[in-house]
Amino acid sequence: MAKTEIRIGGLGGQGVILCGMIIGKAAAIYDGKHATLIQAFGPEARGSACSAQVTVADQVIGYPYVKQPDVLVLMSQDAYAQFGPTLKPGGRLLYEEELVKVDQKLPAGALTFGIPATRFAEELGRRLVLNIVMAGFFTGVTGLVSTEAMEKAVKASVPKGTEDLNMRALRKGLEFGQSVAAKGN
Amino acid sequence: MKLEGFPRSVTLRDGTLLTVRPTKGGDQAALLAFYREMPQEDRLFLKDDVTTEPWADRFIRRIERNEALSLVAETDGRIVAEATLYRPQHGWSAHVGELRVAVARSHRRKGLATALAGMLVKLATDQGADKIVVEVVENQVPALRTFAKLGFQQEAVLRGHVRDIRGARRDLLVLSNDVSHIWAAMEALVADSSPEVH
Repeated sequence: MAKTEIRIGGLGGQGVILCGMIIGKAAAIYDGKHATLIQAFGPEARGSACSAQVTVADQVIGYPYVKQPDVLVLMSQDAYAQFGPTLKPGGRLLYEEELVKVDQKLPAGALTFGIPATRFAEELGRRLVLNIVMAGFFTGVTGLVSTEAMEKAVKASVPKGTEDLNMRALRKGLEFGQSVAAKGN
Repeated sequence: MKLEGFPRSVTLRDGTLLTVRPTKGGDQAALLAFYREMPQEDRLFLKDDVTTEPWADRFIRRIERNEALSLVAETDGRIVAEATLYRPQHGWSAHVGELRVAVARSHRRKGLATALAGMLVKLATDQGADKIVVEVVENQVPALRTFAKLGFQQEAVLRGHVRDIRGARRDLLVLSNDVSHIWAAMEALVADSSPEVH
């Protein structure tokens, strides 16, 4: 793996930044790779556009900004409208299928993978773990970080007392991602 | 709702090994046997007559409608404890769960009530409960100790609210455990806000 550029987009309050941070932490701290994270917020925390740029590489990363991501993880329609066209041709789009409608504007050869992550999070008990379901989905579909590294990164990143549910959310997304990836997009 | 991580083995303080699993349809007869064996004095603190078949059917229906999270502890296929957390599905107290724990006399003072209540508090917290309440009669000292260990604090006293088997009136204590802080920390973490904004 040379370098993989990832952009995560959604709304404030969906845990977009934490999702990116966990992926980066899993790659850099637990998988022994290099990773960078750039975060962008709207003027308000909740409900405004929000995105994270994560770069994962085997070598030192000289330029951390993501212009044309290999992987897009999107949790809102606005994020899709803004970032969908920037996906690298042949890149992978992972999206919350009940919040994002995918159209024909994606670059050629784009692979798309949808997940009802909000519903899964609600079924698990708390909508708040939507981002962790998405982090698990990312792992299951892309395999860019190991499952073990993601588990350690989630445990190390979430507040005490919430670990069990967050781990279940991760596994839910992971298993769904693996099954979707096995079927193809 | 399917409860993950069950059945679970629990070893009591005296070394007794029990299986804890979610209460399910088909448990009515075992539940009735458990409660019918319990001395009447011990059943007084329950709000329903738990020795009747209609109660058992209603109870299972509530579990199936997700109005209650319930666990039973078993040994040799016999229920020796039952713990339930009632969750209103709507209304202004939908964030509050009400806990009830019943343990057979043969299995008391061995940490079983603490284990069951602890599991339910955890499950309820993960499933959206912000506050959990439990009612304990003033002289139920072991129960008060159990719930204190789990973070419950006395919130209200209903004077002379219950009458024991000898006809004596006793205070009913309402204990509560505000668990909202656990997920409030997660909520802050997913706020996607810059620390400089605050």
